[in-house]
Amino acid sequence: MNGCKNIQQRIDEVDNPGFLPLEASEHIGHCNDCARFAIERTALRELVAAGTRVNAPINFDAVLKARLAQVKSRRSFWWLGSPGLLRLGAATAGLVVMISAAQYAGLFSTNNAPPTNGSKRAEVPTKPTPAPAERMTQDLSVPSPPRAAVGDRAYAVASVTPRVRRGEVLVGRAAAAGHLTAEDGGVVLVRGRNGDMDVQMPTVSVGAQPLLYVSAGQRTVRNIGASF
Amino acid sequence: MAAVTHQAQAIELGGSRSAEAASDHELLAAIRDGDEVAFQEIVRRYRNPITNFVYRMLDDYDRSVELAQETFIRVYTSASRYQANYSFSTYIYRIATNLAISELRRRKRRKTVSLFSPFTNDDGEAIEIDPPDLNMLQDETLIQNERRRAVARAITSLPQKYRAAIVLRDVEGLSYDQIAQTLELSEGTVKSRINRARNLLKEKLSAYI
Repeated sequence: MNGCKNIQQRIDEVDNPGFLPLEASEHIGHCNDCARFAIERTALRELVAAGTRVNAPINFDAVLKARLAQVKSRRSFWWLGSPGLLRLGAATAGLVVMISAAQYAGLFSTNNAPPTNGSKRAEVPTKPTPAPAERMTQDLSVPSPPRAAVGDRAYAVASVTPRVRRGEVLVGRAAAAGHLTAEDGGVVLVRGRNGDMDVQMPTVSVGAQPLLYVSAGQRTVRNIGASF
Repeated sequence: MAAVTHQAQAIELGGSRSAEAASDHELLAAIRDGDEVAFQEIVRRYRNPITNFVYRMLDDYDRSVELAQETFIRVYTSASRYQANYSFSTYIYRIATNLAISELRRRKRRKTVSLFSPFTNDDGEAIEIDPPDLNMLQDETLIQNERRRAVARAITSLPQKYRAAIVLRDVEGLSYDQIAQTLELSEGTVKSRINRARNLLKEKLSAYI
């Protein structure tokens, strides 16, 4: 039986079923099972090989040529999809985002002066002012909102709340007290000129109000006219 | 098999030797150097065998033609990476086999259920229920057509790991060595798969043997 298995394996592996090895030919002469196996295998192989054999269509070459031209044109732009280019694009996008964020944060602003002592800054008036009100002559190095006096009443002019990253400019300060006069009573906030300060507006009064110009960069408060 | 370098085989096909006389390796070396004539010659030599092979794997002529063309496109685009360690026919049949198997897997993922094979075996492959028709057939042409269709259906119903091996062996006539290289299997595994495939085919085609 083991011999039959080996013989059948040899019959199965033969290249040409019509030409069996001598050993197999001798064996199937006296073994009906192996003889039947050889006949079945031959018939099966002929049946499978005799199946319809198809050929390529007539336009095979033309279509192939067109497809190949497409592939070539795609390959000429291979670098568009390359990982290196994608990495470069991502790095560029990241850089743009960082620059935008930095611009938004004002890191490139020319108003940024290097940090100095607060007392020194208070000594830099830009314009001499006549006899400031006594209550306004307090040392503004103390972080309290500046106040303008109108008659007997005092108004909060601006509360300067610094942002963390801009602590070096006007941290807890307002304009020098000498620039605020008795007739000062309003605030004009000029967009983009006040730094990144949060300025609290005074209570709205009815009627004409004096207008003050508060500049964070120059750290001055000027009276620029009336609201009417 | 001795490794053959591309440089040694690089030839000018437009010169003294014609493309028809060049070997496959020489043609590949010329394709790598941008010779379109060499590529046309390779296509001329292999378009029919490759189309037929893929057709016997898929039993779908239109798709077989597309995949045969895709095979040649891959030959062209990867000519520079071609290693001439074994015959080119093995190389191109490997590309075609991989494409055909990918197509079969893609079709399998679609989970189409054939009316002929609603059941699957342990490997998840469809088992075709094709009881032999014992009635007398009327005409020799009909007999031939029916036999061809039965063979095609029987091959298509084989598990794909057996299918590639049996088609390469009994349809395309490749040697065990070439099939082993094409499928990247050992020769013993190839022999085993072919034997198993024939046993399955014998059951399915018993009415025609």
